[in-house]
Amino acid sequence: MAASSTPIRRTLMRMIFLSAGAVLAVTTTAFCAYEFLTFRQSSVQQLQTLSQAIASNSTAALAFDNADDAATILGAFKADPHIAAAALYDSQGKVFAIYPRGLPAANFPARPGPPGYSFGRARLIGFQPVEEGSTRLGTLFVESDLGAMYARVKLYGLIVFLVIGISVPLAYLISRRLQRQLLQPILALAETTRAVSERHDYTVRAVRTGAYEFDLFTDTFNQMLTQIQLSEAKLHAQLGRLGLLQHITRATGERQDLQSIFQVVLDSLEQNLPMDFGCFLLHDATAQSLTVSVLGAAGRGFADRLGLVEQLDVPLDANGLSRCVAGQLVYEPDVLKVPFPFPQRLAAAGLRSMVIAPLIVENQVFGVLVCARRKEGAFSSGECEFLKQLSEHVALASHQARLYGALQQAYDDLRQSQHTVMQQERLRALGQMASGIAHDINNAISPVSLYTESLLEREPNLSERARGYLTTIQRAIEDVARTVARMREFYREREAQLTLERVDLNRAIRQVVELTRPRWSDLPQQRGVMVDLKTDLDDALPDIMGAEHEIRDALTNLIFNAVDAMPGGGRLTVRTRQSGSADGADRVLVEVSDTGIGMDEDTRRRCLEPFFTTKGERGTGLGLAMVYGMIQRHSAELDIESAAGQGTTVRLSFPAYTASAVTATQVIKVPFVSRRLRILLVDDDPMLIKSLQDTLQEDGHQITATHGGQAGIDSFAAAQKRGECFDIVVTDLGMPHVDGRKVASSVKMMSSTTPVILLTGWGQRLIAANDIPPHVDKLLSKPPRLHELRAALAELVR
Amino acid sequence: MAVLNTILRALLCGTLGLMALLRGACGAEAPTEYQVKAVFVYNFSHFVEWPPQGFTAPNAPFIIGILGNDPFGVRLDEAVHGEQIDQHPLLVRRFRSIGEVGDCQILYIDRSESAQLQQILAALDHRSTLTVSELDGSSERGVMIQFTTENNRIRLRINVESARAAGLTISSKLLRPAEIVGTRIGN
Repeated sequence: MAASSTPIRRTLMRMIFLSAGAVLAVTTTAFCAYEFLTFRQSSVQQLQTLSQAIASNSTAALAFDNADDAATILGAFKADPHIAAAALYDSQGKVFAIYPRGLPAANFPARPGPPGYSFGRARLIGFQPVEEGSTRLGTLFVESDLGAMYARVKLYGLIVFLVIGISVPLAYLISRRLQRQLLQPILALAETTRAVSERHDYTVRAVRTGAYEFDLFTDTFNQMLTQIQLSEAKLHAQLGRLGLLQHITRATGERQDLQSIFQVVLDSLEQNLPMDFGCFLLHDATAQSLTVSVLGAAGRGFADRLGLVEQLDVPLDANGLSRCVAGQLVYEPDVLKVPFPFPQRLAAAGLRSMVIAPLIVENQVFGVLVCARRKEGAFSSGECEFLKQLSEHVALASHQARLYGALQQAYDDLRQSQHTVMQQERLRALGQMASGIAHDINNAISPVSLYTESLLEREPNLSERARGYLTTIQRAIEDVARTVARMREFYREREAQLTLERVDLNRAIRQVVELTRPRWSDLPQQRGVMVDLKTDLDDALPDIMGAEHEIRDALTNLIFNAVDAMPGGGRLTVRTRQSGSADGADRVLVEVSDTGIGMDEDTRRRCLEPFFTTKGERGTGLGLAMVYGMIQRHSAELDIESAAGQGTTVRLSFPAYTASAVTATQVIKVPFVSRRLRILLVDDDPMLIKSLQDTLQEDGHQITATHGGQAGIDSFAAAQKRGECFDIVVTDLGMPHVDGRKVASSVKMMSSTTPVILLTGWGQRLIAANDIPPHVDKLLSKPPRLHELRAALAELVR
Repeated sequence: MAVLNTILRALLCGTLGLMALLRGACGAEAPTEYQVKAVFVYNFSHFVEWPPQGFTAPNAPFIIGILGNDPFGVRLDEAVHGEQIDQHPLLVRRFRSIGEVGDCQILYIDRSESAQLQQILAALDHRSTLTVSELDGSSERGVMIQFTTENNRIRLRINVESARAAGLTISSKLLRPAEIVGTRIGN
């Protein structure tokens, strides 16, 4: 305070002192000058008077030449101590008498000067004529040493000094007193100003001092401070809310689901705004209802009193909620005064003021944010504005979360689709390839099948051994044919035509174990490795419905895989169990487990994919894929449990056989065609033609074999011309240039009544698709079975 | 007239000054006794006040009379020459006897009249005439101003009573350097 107020205090003091000093100086100077001049004048006058008196008295002494008397008269000057010298001159100008006696001649002029008085150096001298009447008798010289004047001047100096000496402290005291009156309010204001500017403390106020103008100033200043304080507080609150908004926006941005976004918003608001109760309600536009989505954690007590729980429907009332749902921010400073259900509900729970902010996305209110406080009118306009902006941010974040969710879903779907498409594409390629191979294999094995069947049937003299071999060959051929068919079809969903029969899994497992013995026992032993295979079979195992050969193949694959997974040997366990499932139906479990190298997560996930193999050149990548195909066709379930180094367990779960399950196999006694038929054979495979021709001829039929479709049609046309009509046409489907369909249609054009049997390597697929070509009366798959052929002939030719 | 007077006075002064210089040149000769006494007589006219009825007219001459032998010669004439008191021009007259004396403001009674002093004073009784003499004891006898010589200096003895009786007022200034005497009857 002292430091910066000194200048004003000093300045004021200086002003007062200067003005007072100036007045004093002028006054005393004028006084002194006046007194000095007056005194000079009066000194002259005094000296003149004295001189005149002495001169007048000296006349007689001069006139009568009495120097003694003159000296006596001059002695009267003694009365005035300042008279330094005096001399009387006679009319001739000669010195007549002097004062004081014995005055050196140097101290007075030798001759009198002209009459008059003048100030010389530190003295006043005068020449006074001595006259009696009109007669000039002489001259009187007087010299005053001006001591009186100096004494007077000294006196005046003393007076001035005293005046100044008294008036200066007096002026100081008075000015101090006046200054205090004047400075106190200024200094108080200055102090307040400093407090404000240095500490930014806008709560301080200047104190009124009672001086009117200053009080006015102080009041205005205080008003200004109040304004600043208010503005500062507002700014502070605004900044705080901005920070909160940013915090919430960031927090919501990190979350991708609606619930946690709402939760984090409510948590932040409860902690930082703060508020007593908050919740989010979701709006269902079609149902015109609001549902409690998330309740603030801190306001749970209120939520309980309000009777609000998550997922509870809140009816839209006519005022607050519906207005908000219409897109407005609703602020009720006092819910007691709002006669609608929701505000009244809040009021009953002890909440007095509420703000409801709409969450708007694309002009649709999809929810509302409810904030409430215990106090009445507790939300400022700034907070309302903040909540409005916040709700927009929350709405956007929610919208983004939804979009993100949808995007994620779409992405997952797309990936799934892509995966499926890829799988299907692979399977399709595989299928096409398999189909081609199957066709060729079927053709190739057809003669084997036909001749074997024919031999077994027509050669009664065959030795038992030969008959046994032939039977094995026949079964092998059938297995090959089935394998080929399955290879072609394995990627397809379970087919209606799959022949299901009761299968005793235990028996199938024993067969497979026996069949694969060379693989799991002999081959490892040659390498000095021991694989210990154990079967743990449940004797009370129910049968299942299935295709036994498929199941056998699958099991074989699994055993091969298990053995391959144990290059250093180990234990291989095949186990069967039955278990109850949720729907009550029993299920049959088959478990193949090994103690091998196991699979890592990636391998485990991909192991079912076709062509995926870990065996390098040795593996086809089709083993487990075929197992999977079998599983799908049998409505079974597959579970692979494995970890690297931990071995692998593959579990197959089949539905158990029930009485209601369809039995598809019917053994029909094949009718036999007694009469001799003229048969036209059309094929592009000479081996097949030869074998078919041989076997059918042995049945007594007359066979005309043609090579290729066009040859067949030509042959049929030629026979027609000759009037030797064929009883039946047996044609291959897949032939170069003119295929079986063309042959069939041509035959039907020429003779609509002539039946056409189509032989096909793709037979089962065509049957499955109900795609028996027009003009074909019967479709038989390759390799042709003799009994099937006979049955078809018997059926078609009456 | 005043200018003329001033010129004349200047001439006189110049003459006197010249004389004084000449005298100074001849060995600083002191003024003679009668020279001083002539000036004194003339000076009396300044220090004594005569009653107005002493003059027949406002411009009637102020007469300095010498009764008996004239010891002054021309010195008195020189001293009064051209002077006047108020409007009265100064004149020097010489009287043989008291009988001749008419209007006269100052009457110098020479030693030669010593014997007749009593008659002279009686004749002048009640007349406003200032009597001056150098006769020893004359002041005690009724002469108003008596010259004496003391230590070679001329001093005055003044009989104030006589003067007052004659209606004359002697200035106190004159009384100051003088010796005041009273009239001794019977002598």
